[in-house]
Order: sequence, then C-alpha cells, then structure tokens
Amino acid sequence: MKRLHTLLAALAVTAAANAQIGAPYIHDPSTLAECDGKYYTFGTGGGGIITDDGWSWHSGADRPGGGAAPDVLKIGDRYLCIYGATGGGLGGGHAGRILTMWNKTLDPKSPDFKWSEAVEVCASDGMEDQDAIDPGLLLDPTTGRLWVSYGTYFGTIRLIELDPKTGFRKKGNKEKDIAIDCEASDLMYRDGWYYLLGTHGTCCDGVNSTYNIVVGRSRNVEGPYLDNVGRDMYHGGGKMVIAAEDRACGAGHFGRFIVDEGVEVMSFHWEADFEQSGRSVLAVRPIVWKNGWPVAGDNFKGGNFWIESERRGYALELTVDFVRMQQERQGWFNRNQMEQPVKPIANQTLAEVIDTWPKGDIPARICDYMNRPHQRWTITPVDSAGGYLSNPYFKITIEGTERALAATANKEVTTVAAYTGADEQLWRIEQLTDGTYRIMPKAIPGQEGVNKEFCLYSAGDSTPTLAKYDFNTDNCKWNFKKH
Amino acid sequence: MKKICISLLMSVPLVSLAQNPVIRDQFSADPTARVFNNKVYLYPSHDIMPPAGQRQDWFCMEDYHVFSSENLTDWTDHGVIVTQNKVPWVRPNSYSMWAPDCVYRNGKYYFYFPSAPAEGKGFGFGIGVAVADNPEGPFIPEPEPIKGISGIDPCVLQASDGNAYIFWGAGRCAKLKPNMKELADDTPTEKVKFGEREFEMKGVNCLKGLPSRQAEGPFAFEYNGNYYLTYPYVRENTEVLGYAMSKKPMGPYEYKGLIMAEHANGCWTNHHSIINYKGQWYLFYHHNDFSPRDDKRRSVCIEKLYFNPDGTIQEVKPTMRGAGINEATEKIEIDRYSEASNDVTTSLIDTVNTFRGFQATLPVKGSWIKYNDVNFDCLTEGYLIVNAKAAGNTTLYVREKSANGKIIAKIDMTVKPESPAGTPAMFRRDFSNQWLTLTAPLEYMPKGVTDLVITCEGDAGVSVDWIQFKNRPKYFSAVTTPTAKPDDEGFIRRWLLLEPIDKPNSGNTVFTDSYLREHFNTTYFKGQQTIVPKNGQKVKAEYKKVEVAPGFGRGFGQQEPAEPKVTTVKQTLTWHALDSENMNVKLFRFAEKWGQQVYGVLFWAVTIIDCDEDIENVRLAVGSNSASMWWLNGEEALLLSGDRRMVKDDAMSARLTLKKGRNILRGAVINGPGMSDFCVRFLDEKGNPVTNYTIKAQ
Repeated sequence: MKRLHTLLAALAVTAAANAQIGAPYIHDPSTLAECDGKYYTFGTGGGGIITDDGWSWHSGADRPGGGAAPDVLKIGDRYLCIYGATGGGLGGGHAGRILTMWNKTLDPKSPDFKWSEAVEVCASDGMEDQDAIDPGLLLDPTTGRLWVSYGTYFGTIRLIELDPKTGFRKKGNKEKDIAIDCEASDLMYRDGWYYLLGTHGTCCDGVNSTYNIVVGRSRNVEGPYLDNVGRDMYHGGGKMVIAAEDRACGAGHFGRFIVDEGVEVMSFHWEADFEQSGRSVLAVRPIVWKNGWPVAGDNFKGGNFWIESERRGYALELTVDFVRMQQERQGWFNRNQMEQPVKPIANQTLAEVIDTWPKGDIPARICDYMNRPHQRWTITPVDSAGGYLSNPYFKITIEGTERALAATANKEVTTVAAYTGADEQLWRIEQLTDGTYRIMPKAIPGQEGVNKEFCLYSAGDSTPTLAKYDFNTDNCKWNFKKH
Repeated sequence: MKKICISLLMSVPLVSLAQNPVIRDQFSADPTARVFNNKVYLYPSHDIMPPAGQRQDWFCMEDYHVFSSENLTDWTDHGVIVTQNKVPWVRPNSYSMWAPDCVYRNGKYYFYFPSAPAEGKGFGFGIGVAVADNPEGPFIPEPEPIKGISGIDPCVLQASDGNAYIFWGAGRCAKLKPNMKELADDTPTEKVKFGEREFEMKGVNCLKGLPSRQAEGPFAFEYNGNYYLTYPYVRENTEVLGYAMSKKPMGPYEYKGLIMAEHANGCWTNHHSIINYKGQWYLFYHHNDFSPRDDKRRSVCIEKLYFNPDGTIQEVKPTMRGAGINEATEKIEIDRYSEASNDVTTSLIDTVNTFRGFQATLPVKGSWIKYNDVNFDCLTEGYLIVNAKAAGNTTLYVREKSANGKIIAKIDMTVKPESPAGTPAMFRRDFSNQWLTLTAPLEYMPKGVTDLVITCEGDAGVSVDWIQFKNRPKYFSAVTTPTAKPDDEGFIRRWLLLEPIDKPNSGNTVFTDSYLREHFNTTYFKGQQTIVPKNGQKVKAEYKKVEVAPGFGRGFGQQEPAEPKVTTVKQTLTWHALDSENMNVKLFRFAEKWGQQVYGVLFWAVTIIDCDEDIENVRLAVGSNSASMWWLNGEEALLLSGDRRMVKDDAMSARLTLKKGRNILRGAVINGPGMSDFCVRFLDEKGNPVTNYTIKAQ
C-alpha cells in the first residue's frame, strides 16, 4: 500500500510540473517581457500568451502584422516588437522583411495599448543567401546599442544595428554575416561575452522534430562567435544548450529573461509536448552558467531530498533530539566479530523516532547530515496554488508525514504539524545561475501580497531564518540532494 | 555641446538618389548649389511643419543643413550649420531662416542668410553672415546683420572684375567690401516708395523696368563675358523663373525670357541656382512633391540646363527623373520616370508619411514607363529586384530602350498563389495589393549607360516603387590551373561535380542509415563508383524516380501516398570541374546554375588527391547538408546520416592512409529542402589539417 502511495505521488509530481499550465500553446515564442507584473510572449502568426503569475498561461496577447517569430524588448518605458513578414519559404519564398513597432504597454486592455506603424529595418531579396525572418534583439548593457540577429537555414544569420530611440535601422549600418545553418537566433550578453544562440535541426514535424538550441560566444558583438572547441558558428559550430528532455522534444527560439541577480530563465518552445498531444508549447527553464557557457538547468519536479546549505554543507532538519541507533559497535579491535559475515544495517525509520518529536510546531535547524528521518524531506508541487516563471509552488514536508516547512510572522522558519495549504507553507524554488537553488516562501504571515524578497537563509551554520535574497552570499543558497 | 551635436550629425550621412526630389527624408527649399573642392555643396532653406503657436499655413524655417555630393546622385547630409536661436541678432523662434547663399573667398566660406531681426535690430528682414573654414562648417555667425540691407534672399556674385556683389530681395544689388561683411562705402542710396511710405534703400535696383512683379530670390552668375541675373517673379498667378543679361555686374540688365515656367500643380514659389559641374550646367530649383496640399513645404530638384550659342538660356522643363546617371546597383526610384505611356499615373505611396515616396501605376497590359541613364558597368553577374504590387496575377518585363526593346528580365507576379489542398487558413497566402520585393534572373545584361523600360504584359495592372540590380556573389570559378592545394585550413575546394540527380524525398529526417545505403548504392549512371570524369564529360543517367509529396510530415499533415508513383527518368548530366570560393562547396548554388532542380536532389562529387608519399593515420573530416557518404579509393570511408547541417568536422572517418601517388575521393550528398553544401578536409592525429598534397580535377 505504501509503495502504491509513493508511486501515485511520483506520478502526480510528473504530471503537475512538466510544463507551464493553462494554455501555453505557442510556436516561435518571443523573449518573455514583463509589463505591469504580467509576463507576455508573442508567437508566429500573430497574438501571444499572457501569465499573471508566471506559471499559468492564457491567450489574449495582441500583435498585428502576422508573419513569423517576433521578439519583444522593453527599452525605456516602451516595448519594441520586431517581427518577420513573409519570407521563411512560406508562400513568399525567401524574400523576407523585418519590421519594428512600439507600444507603451503590452496589455491589450490598457487605454495606452496602441502599436505604432511598423517600419522595415532589413529585408532579403529572395535570391541572396539570406532569409530575413526570425529576428532576436539585444540591447547591449555596456554600450546601450541595439542589435538584431536574424535569418534561417536559407543562407546566413545576419547582424544589424538599430537606433534604440526610434527602432529604425541605424543609418549607414551594414549587415554582417555571423553564422550559417541556424534559424531562430538570439543574442545575449554576460560578463564580457556576447552569446549567439541558434536553433539547429528540423522544426514543425511534431514528435519527430529535431529542433535544438546551440550557442557560440564572442568578445565582440559582431563576432566571430566560436563554440567550446573554437569552431566558428559561421562554419556550423555550436555547443548544445537544450534539445529534448523526458516527455518533450524540439527546443527552439531561445529567449533569456533575468528574474533577479543570479536568477535567469530561458524561454523557448517544445515542438512537441508528449503530455499535451504533442502540441507546441512554451517552456521555461533555468539558465545555469558553467565555465562561461549557458546550460539548461533543472526541470525541478520535487521528490525526496535532503536540503543542503551552500554555506557549510549542513542539512535542514527539525529541531528534535538526535536519537541514537542501537547497534553493537564493530571494529578491527574485536577479532571474533570480524570473522562473522557482514550484513546490512537498516536505516533509522520514521516510526522509530517520531514519538520523540513534539506534536506541535517544531522549529527548523541546520546540522550535519546523518540521513535521519528529521533530515529527510519530500518536496511536492502543489496544483492550483499558482506559481512563478519556471515552476508551481511546492510544499516541503518531512518524508512520510504531513509536517510542513513554514515561514513565521517574525521571519523565522518552523514546521507545522499538518500542511494546510496556507501561503506561508508554499515555497518558490528556483535554480540559480551557479546551479544552487533559492527557496522562498510564497507569503510571510502579516505581510501583504506575494513575497518576492525573503528567502530561506543560513543566519549561522546551524540557524535558518528568512532574509533578503542576495546572490552574492552562500547564505541564500541551497542544494537538493538525493539520499 | 553644439559641437558634439554637429559631429554626431555629421557621422550619419544620408544617402539620397538621383531622382527628383533629391533630398528625400526632409523638406528642402530655395536651393543654392556651389562647387567647392570639386564637390557640389547644396545650401537650401529647411521647411518644417510649423510647431504649435506658429502660423500653420505659412513658411516655417528654423535652421540650415548643408548637403554635398560628388555625382549629384548620392547626397550626404552634414547636419545643421546655423540655427535661429544661436544667432545673436535673430528674433528667437521667428522661424524665418529663408533662402541662403554661401561663397568662398580668401580661405574662408561666407554663409549669407536672411531672417527676422530681434527687437532693436531693424525691421522687416536682415541679412546675416556666418564664417567657416570648411564648406560644411562649423559656421560662426556675426553678431550683427549686414548694415544697410533690409530684405531677403541674398546671393553673392564674385565677378571677374575682382569685386564681390551682393544681390537681394527684388533684384537690388550693392558691392561688398573685401571683408565680405559690409557694403562698400560708395554704395548709392535711393528713395523708394511703398504705397504712401517712402524708404531710403541702399544699392541699385537691377530689375527696374523689367518683368519683375513680386520678384525675389535673385541669383546672379557670370559666363562667357555675360552677367546673368536670374530670378523668380509672378508672370500671371504664380512664380516663374526668368532671367536678364548684362555686360556689367550691376547692370543695366536686359530681360531675356524664362528659364522655367509656372509649376503645373500651382505650387506658388520657385527658387533656384545655376552651376557648372564637370562641364555640365545644372538648374537647382524646388517643388512641393512631398507636400502636394501645402506649397510651403518644398523639396529640391535638379535638371540639366543648356545655353544657346548666343548666350541665352534654353527653357528647362521640370521632370521627375532629374539629372545624374544611376548605377544599376543603386536603388532606383523608377516611379520617377523619364517618359511613360499616357495611361500611367504617379501618386504618393503614403499620403501622410509622404517621404515614403511615390509609386507609378501601369494600369493595363501595354502600359510602360521609361527611365533614362542607368549605368550597367558595375554589374558582372546580376539579377533584378523589383518592389511592386498588383491586384491580380500579372507579368512585367524590364526591357532596354523601348517598350518592345530587348528583354532584360521577366517578373511573374503571383499574388494569389494556389495553396495545396489541406493548407490551413493561416498559411494560405494572398499578396494582392501588397508591396512585394520580387527577384528575377537576367535574360540579358546591358552594357554601359542605357535606358530602361518597364512594361506591364500581364492581365492585371501593376504599381512599381523601385528597382535594383544586384551582383550575385561568386560561388565557383572554372578550374584554370593544373593543380590546387588544400586551403590554409586544409579544405579541399577543387571538385568535379555532377549536375544533380532528381531524387524526390519528403525531408531531411528520412535520411536514415539504411535509406542512405539503399539509395547511395543504387546505380544511377554507369561507372558511378569508378569514374574519374573530365570537365564537361557527360553521363547518361537512368533510374526509377519515386514521387514523394514534398514537406511530408513537415507542416500540413500530408501523408505518404499508399502507392507512390514511380517513373523511369533518363537524364544527361554533365560533370563540372570547379574551384569553390568558400570552404563549403555550395551545391545549392551549383544546382541553381547547372541543374534541373535545387531541392530533392542527389549530387556526386569526385576529386583527385596526389601525394608524394604515404600519409598515414589521417581522418576524413566532413560536414554536409544534408546526409552524405564518402569513399576513398573505392572503400567506404564515412557516412553522415540523418538530418545534417553543414558543420565543420561534423563527422570523422576511422584512421586512413592517403597513399603515395593518386587517390580518388568520391562523395554523394543527398538533400531535401534547404541549401545543400559540404566541406571536406583531412586531419592528422593531433587534429591539425593535412595540406601536403595536391588536388586535381583531371
């Protein structure tokens, strides 16, 4: 019975956390854009999807002009939208045009919602080695200059510069070829490097789509973009970022969104989500930076873990008595024992210790990991409690119990005997760019609204608390370890 | 700060083209053109839309730009040189920076401009001077306007008698001191009556007694011993450009006739200048092309001007085509045609944003427009791009010289393409009445400077905006040397390529290992695995072709038919010995030039590698789009299966030996959609390119 229970729980976990929920159906999504607390992404053919909390998506975003694969970027207090009209071999051949237009808001219900007249910034004539669709925008944070990469397999990926004040092509700017055999390219900047993302493989073939996202980098925005073995993307180079995962395939149309310092996500589409009839859906995954290269972070789905502090490597636990395991000591000094055959020793079980625990709230503590029941946690996604970019909220309970980790009004951390679904018992878990995690309560009792500041924090090696998130201290960082 | 602004503006040149108007992103009026340092400098006034608080139906000008050109077709905007609120004597926000002039004397450039004086600085209009070391500035304005002048439209004539004379207003003239900033001390004064009031005016009225009603904008120049005083005046209802001649700079002048008649559309003003540049005379004038409903916003145009043997000037007709020869590779605003059939109309593309320019509409089969003077010397291997729109499917031709002249290119406009059955609505296309950029190969390439004619020869009318010829990149050159070496990175660029075999497939994802082994080992032509062909050698291919719906699986849910249609194909295919211009051999472009089709094709490639000694432990490194298979000396070396892209060193063979003497490397590349290409090299044990061999094509 217990085994069945675990199995069901595991299934529930998978189903709930595999994809954005609601109606995340989109193809060629633009980079996520935030407007008045909501997130937007726009796709091929017009329109787009919206989420209020980052997790549950619905249709309703509005982009005129049709065409393919837009990108959207906030510049100052306006949003610049760039998209390809015709081209892409769809009816219009490879004569493509890329246009830009502005809006003060992305909310179609706002009285300010009005797209400016679209202006052409570049084109391909259909004969040249170029196909002007699939634009990606980069506002260089070091220079304020605005760059666009665009193109498909029909020839090269090109780079042009726009005027960030007008969205027009910068006068006198000449196109530069920076890659071949890609489509759905995008640019990003980090720590002295420019990164060119491209999509290789074949799209639009459902569960057989081989779309995959690769990357090269350069010290200069105009390239050359080299991969990890020094191969130029202009010669087909590229290092894989993400291709497929369990139950989804065909990753394409990368976009990077910075949530917070050290909290970055990539948006893209799966050509086929195996859980949703093989439909094309939006995917959001953490970006982890490894040796200066972006890799797709965990699609965190919960499970059974011990929770390690990055500060000292201690484990999050209940503040309860350490219960000694009754075991005859074995050793080299007892020759008779050493001649007996070895046998496994069972782990300490919950049943052996639970009666020693208080019945009410038990504060949390951090201590060296001994694989004891008061250090073993089950993390479970919670349906219908909303979420944030990349995941739903989770409950964090002691394995085999309903005892749940909770935030207190005075910003400490305790456990309550039974999970009730209250917001202070729901946790936002995000993988950081260094591969560790931050863990934030959805709410803190007595504080208005959704908590976006305070996270689980090592006040001392042994003392957890809640404190303001700061990527620059290991006190904010945690790891989930399988037992 | 001002300096910074100027240099920023100067760093973003505007390129305009030959057709009238010549400045296409802003209004420009009252053009004074001057030749300095073998370049033409254009100093127009700068019409703008009046800001709130200004009279909306009146002239409004706050600053001056200067433009320059070496060919009268490309104009560089050097930005603002003088602006109203930076000139001490000008009334702030008077928006009255009217027609200027600029002349060079003794190492300095003197810019003359009229404006409304500030309180206590005079009445009516004054004329100021700003001085610079260069024709594009920076210009430093004098604190006070020229004393003794009340009026507009200065023009300075530097006569062969060594003196400079300033003309202004309705044809008044006075000598300048050598400092160019003051009237000569001996300038006469006369009393002039305006209605009831009498004024004392400096200088002499050179147009006294001549046709000169409401005369303004005098422009004087000297040619062949004659002085010409040219000027706009009102002959009937609006302005014409007239002129008078004299043997002396200050007259007396004799009226000679018109340079340009009234504007046909009623644009009230005209204003002009005349220069000789590289042996040709040109008239610069203005017209309200970009503001058809408001003739206070004008744009500069240029025409050629000719003299009669007696020194009189031939009347100039305004044209849309203007002056200057277009390079074929420029974007040519063909809607500004030289001539057209009677039914052709011209209109603004966008009546609000008029700077988007014009379109010419050829309404029926047989309509044509002609555009003079396009230079094809810049074109080597070209194609045509046309920006056009049509209401229905139609055809247009670009011909040389006349409407039935030699065909340069044919453009089929399919604005309502037929969609395959089952195409979802969002992918069905209707391009009727949309601007489309269309391309076509050239059937014939003219030489030198010639005239182009666009003819509508389809069932629907067509509107055209611009055309442009482009050179194609060079992908291959014929083999002309007996041997070649691998390039610096070891890539083999010399190949014998066979024209593609027609090999339909539904897309690159079908290229599994077993598919490839089956289809690469099928015999398409005799000696397929042994032939070392010569350039131009033909082979007879005969094979069974299995029809496959293109794009099956990709897109619209087409399924493979249960029993595909099989036909026997007989093709005669030719081997071409070529050197690739790139490390990747662009088979797509090879197929485009020499093949029957570019997609759904199978290519064979052979190259000969001669080694002085055995080269052991090397690997064949290949990238190909899409799948490919390679044989060295008849032995299979490498198979790249699946949905491949051209990736350098995508796959490697096992260690091989290139033997002393002749080695034959053979490859087959198969492709569905996309641009097929491949790159091949040999790498040694350390991953370094192998280059110590020679490559032959026969």
